[in-house]
Amino acid sequence: MAVEHYWAPTSLSDALEHLRGGDVTVLAGGTDLMPQTQAGRVSLERGLLNVRRVAELHRIERVDGAVRIGALCTITEIMRDPLVGEHFAMLADACDHFASDQLRNAATIGGNVCNASPAGDTLVPLLVLDAEAELASKPGARVERRRVPLADFFVGPGRTRRAPDELLCAIRLPLPPPGFVGRFFKFGTRPALDIAAISIGIGGVRDGRTLVQARVAYGAVAAVPLRARRTEAALEGAALDAATADGVAATARDEVRPIDDLRASAWYRKELVFNMTRRILHDVAEA
Amino acid sequence: MKVIEKSTLIGKRIAKLDAPEKAAGMTRYVHDLDLPGQLHARILRSTRVHARIKRIDTRRARALAGVHAVLTAADVPYQRPLGVGKDQLPLKGDKVRSLRDEIAAVAADTEAIAEAALALIDVEYEDLPTLTDPADALKPGAPVIHGETLASPAPHDALKPGEPGDAEAHRHNVAMTFDYAQGDLAAGEAESDVIVDDWFRLHYVTHCCMGVSGIIAEFDRSGNLTLHSNTQVPFLHKREFAEILGMDPGRIRIIQPPIGGGFGSKLDIYPFEPICVFLAKATRRPVKLVFSREEEFIASPTRQPVLLRLRSGAKKDGTLTFRDCETLHDNGAYTSWGATTPFVMMQTISSLYRVPHCKYHTTAVYTNNPYAGSFRGYGNLQATFAVEQQIDELAEKLGIDPLEMRLKNAQDPGEITPQGMHFQTCGLKECLRTAAEVSDYRARHAAALAAQHSPQRYKRGVGMASMLHVGGGAKIYPSDGCGTILKIDDFAHVTLITGASEIGQGSETVLAQLVCEELGIPLDTVSVVNNDTDITPWDVGVHASRTTFIGGNSAIGAARKAKAKVLAAAAKTTGIPEAELELRAGHIVRTATGEALVSLAKLLRSLHFSDKAELVMTTFYYEPPSKHQDKSFKGDVSAAYAWATQVVEVEVDTDTGVVRLLKVTGAHDVGRVLNRLGIEGQIEGGIVMGQGYAITEDLMVDGGVVRNPGFRDYKLVTAPEIPEMEVRFIETMDGEGPQGAKGVGEAPAICIAAATANAICNATGVRIRELPFTPEKVYRALHRAGVPAGPTGGD
Repeated sequence: MAVEHYWAPTSLSDALEHLRGGDVTVLAGGTDLMPQTQAGRVSLERGLLNVRRVAELHRIERVDGAVRIGALCTITEIMRDPLVGEHFAMLADACDHFASDQLRNAATIGGNVCNASPAGDTLVPLLVLDAEAELASKPGARVERRRVPLADFFVGPGRTRRAPDELLCAIRLPLPPPGFVGRFFKFGTRPALDIAAISIGIGGVRDGRTLVQARVAYGAVAAVPLRARRTEAALEGAALDAATADGVAATARDEVRPIDDLRASAWYRKELVFNMTRRILHDVAEA
Repeated sequence: MKVIEKSTLIGKRIAKLDAPEKAAGMTRYVHDLDLPGQLHARILRSTRVHARIKRIDTRRARALAGVHAVLTAADVPYQRPLGVGKDQLPLKGDKVRSLRDEIAAVAADTEAIAEAALALIDVEYEDLPTLTDPADALKPGAPVIHGETLASPAPHDALKPGEPGDAEAHRHNVAMTFDYAQGDLAAGEAESDVIVDDWFRLHYVTHCCMGVSGIIAEFDRSGNLTLHSNTQVPFLHKREFAEILGMDPGRIRIIQPPIGGGFGSKLDIYPFEPICVFLAKATRRPVKLVFSREEEFIASPTRQPVLLRLRSGAKKDGTLTFRDCETLHDNGAYTSWGATTPFVMMQTISSLYRVPHCKYHTTAVYTNNPYAGSFRGYGNLQATFAVEQQIDELAEKLGIDPLEMRLKNAQDPGEITPQGMHFQTCGLKECLRTAAEVSDYRARHAAALAAQHSPQRYKRGVGMASMLHVGGGAKIYPSDGCGTILKIDDFAHVTLITGASEIGQGSETVLAQLVCEELGIPLDTVSVVNNDTDITPWDVGVHASRTTFIGGNSAIGAARKAKAKVLAAAAKTTGIPEAELELRAGHIVRTATGEALVSLAKLLRSLHFSDKAELVMTTFYYEPPSKHQDKSFKGDVSAAYAWATQVVEVEVDTDTGVVRLLKVTGAHDVGRVLNRLGIEGQIEGGIVMGQGYAITEDLMVDGGVVRNPGFRDYKLVTAPEIPEMEVRFIETMDGEGPQGAKGVGEAPAICIAAATANAICNATGVRIRELPFTPEKVYRALHRAGVPAGPTGGD
C-alpha cells in the first residue's frame, strides 16, 4: 500500500493523535524498517509517522530508583552515556556489539525493542536488568501511560504487547542492588556487523560464594528473547563452583528452544548455550 | 656541467595512478555513466529451479507507461547460444534450468518503472523434477537438464580446453570430462610404503566485486554497436558478441569504464550482456543494465564447487610415488569457465612437488544449481587444499617433519615435469625455507603437537602449504599476446596505448613504470590508454596472472624501439655514439659521466620540426614463447611459473569452534618486485580473499536456491579479522619476465585454505576436509573427534 500521509510531529501528544487514527507505521531510526520494507517483508501502512523530532523521547534521565532511557536514544548514545556506564555496564557492552558504527548512530533502543527480534542485541541485557517498557497513548483528551515488564512484552518474532495506538516512550531500568554483577555475551561469527547466533545475559548479586537475585536471559534461542526462569532457579543461591556451573548450564540447555537457520543449527546453539553459560558463571565466580 | 645520476624505479613503492580519483570517489564506473536518451533495463528471472515454460504473458508490462520494450525469447528469434559451453540462449523460451534463468527483459524510462513492469509479467510454469545434488546426476533415471538440441552455434575456433560433452553426453548430464595421466599408477602404488586416500569437499563462494555487473549498449544509425562493458576480455568479447548477434565483429566497439573488481568473474559472456543489446536494438536507444546486489549474488558466477577424491603415496624416506585424483564438478545448469578448472587443477596434481606417476579425472555434471565461472586461482585453491593436506598426512604417517617432506619433493630450477612444464626459474625451496624460518614454523609446530591434548580452551597451531601457478601467461588461445602503441609528443609526454585491461589490479601503473624505466622519464609524464577496442591493440584479456608479464614485455618492447629512435637521433645531434648515450630524468646523458647533453623534449622537437619531420611512435606485439598443450594436456603452457609457501598460525576456540587467523607468513617467488606497494597490496588482498574462502564465505545453495544473497548472511572478512601478515619476496629474476618479474595476481589466494586446514589439525589433532571452517563445522568436527570443549577454568 502506498503511503498517503507523512507526519513528523514534535510533541508526544501530536504523535499519539496521529497513531490513534490507525493504519500507521512508526519510523524512528529506520535501520530495521527500511530494509524490511525494501525486501517486501513489511508493508508500510497508509500513514507514516516519523517520531524522531519528539524531543521528550530522546533523553536519558534518572527518576526515583530507576533510569529512564528515552525510546529515541541511539545505540551510540546509550553506549557512551555515563549513567548507563555506571549502573548498567552490560547494556553498554551489548551496544558495543551492536551491528556497526553507522547503524549504532541511527538505530534507537525503542526500535530495537519494538522490532522484537529474538536476536535483538539490547533485549537480553534489558531482560536481565528487569526493564519495563513505558507505553503512551491518547484515547481521549489526555495522554495515558502504562508500564509493561519487558519479560511480558514480547509475544513472538516481531510481535509485542504494544497496542496499535500506543507508542513506546521509554525503557525504565531499576537501579541494580548493591553488589550486582552482570555479564553479556554475544556469539556471532565476526566481531562486528553480525546477527547473534546466540546471546547470553546473566546478572545477580554476589553473596559470598553464591549468586542471589539471579536473572538469566538468552537471545536467538526461542521465538522471543527468553527470560530463563528455570535456569535462574537452578542458579539462585547455589555455590558458584564447577558442579553448579555444569548443572545450571545443563538446565539452560534444556530450557532454550532454538531452531535451525542460516546462522546456526539448533544443536549447535544448545552447545553454545551450555559451554558459554558455564564459562560466564566461572568468570563471575572469579570476579 | 649538469650531471644526472642513474636511478631506477624498479622495486620502488609507487602509488597506483588511479588512486587519487578512487580515494576521492571521483572515478566514473559504469554505474555513474548516463548517456543522453538512455533507457534502463531489468531482467525477469525464473522463480523455479527446473520447469517448462508454458506461457509468458507480457501484455500488462508492455502497457505500463514508461515501458519502451519487453522482450522474451519469442521476440528475438535470431539469438544464438553463448558462453563457454554454448549451451544456453540469453533469453530462455522453452524451459528454465536454474533460478538465475532469464525469461524476459524490460527497457523503461527509469529503473523503477522497469522493475514495476517485471511484476506485471505472468509466467506459467510446469515444474520438472529437479537435480541439485551432483552426486545424483549420473544415476539412472536422474532428471536430464539438457536433453534437447540447441540451435547450433556458429563455427568457432577450438579456443577452449577440455572435451565438451556432445549431445549424447548431455543426455546423461555430462557437461565436460578431463583425463590426464603420467607414468604408471600401478607401479607408483607398488613402490609406496604409505598411501592416504581422502574425500575433500569444496564449496560455493562468489567474487563479491564492489562494482556489480553492468553494461550500456548503444547503436549508432549506421548499425555500429558500442558497449560500455566491465569485461576482462574485450577483444574476445568482440568476437563472441558478433557471433551471438550475427554481426560483423568490426562493427562492435567495447569501451571499458573503470572496473570495480573482476577476479575472473568477467571472463565469460553472460546472458545479461546480449539481452541489453537486444533491448538497445529494439528501442533504438542506449540501454543501461546494472545488477542489484541481490542479483549479483544470484546471477553472477561462483567459484567451482568440487567433490574431490585424492590418493597419494610415498616411500619410507618421504619420496612421493603417485597421485590419483578424481573430481566431480557441479557444473550447474550451464557451462562456463568453472567446468574447465581441471586445466589448472591437474597441473597442481602432477607438478606441485615431484610425482612420477599421476592420474587425473574430472566429470563436470549438469545440475539445476547456479553455474560456476573462473575465479582468481582457477581451481588451484581446490586442488591445493587436497594436495597440501595429504603432504601433511603422509609426513605424519612416516614420522617426517612436514617441512622436510616438502623440501625432499620440491622442484629445482631447470626441471621439466612429466606434464611438460619447464621451470626455467623455481624458488620453491627458498620459499619453503624462508616461510618456515620467518614464521618459526618448526618450533611452533612441535609446540602445538605437544600441547594438542592439553585441556586448554584455546589451542594454537601452524600449518604450511605451497603452490604452483602460471606466472608467464597461459597459452589457451591461438595467441597469448598483447600489443602496445607508444607515442612521445613534443613535450616528452608519453602515451602508452596497451591492449592490457586495468581491473583494479594495478596494471596501468606497473606498465607505465616499465616504460619510464626504459625511457628514463618521470611517472607523471605517462598517460595510459587501455580501455577501447577501437584504439588499443589486441590482447587476450586479464586472466592467468598474465598482465604484468605479457603486457609488461609488450610495453618494454615498444619503449625500447622508441628509445633506439631517440638515441639514434641524439647521436646525430651530439656526435657521440649511441652506445655511449642513455636516457635519464628526461634528458639524454653521456653514460660514463652522467652529463646532461640535451633535454628529451628539446631533442624530440628538433626531430619533429626539422627537415626530417619525424615523430617518435612505435608499436610492439609480444607473444610469449610458451606452447599449446597437446591433446593429452602436456606442454609448457606458460613462459614462467610462480611459486609460494604460506604459513598460517591459528587459534581454535574449542568452546565455540571459532578459528582465528593470527598470522600469515608468505614467501613468494615473484621473479622480481617491480612496484613494491602494488605487489604488497596484491599479496595482502589475495591472502584476505583466501581467508574468506577458508573460514567465512559460504554461498549457501540449497535445492538450487541461494539462501544468502546479501552481505548480511554472506560473510566477507571484515577489518578486525584480518591477521598480521609478513610477506617475503623471493626474487628469482626470470629470464623471460619483464625486468625479471613473474605474474602473481592469483598466487596469494591459493594456499590459505590448505595451510589453515593443516594449522587446525596441528592445533587440535582434527583434520577437516570440507570448507569453509565456520565455527559450527569446526565445533562439530572437534566434537565428533572427542575433543571436549575447554573445561571451566582450563585456560
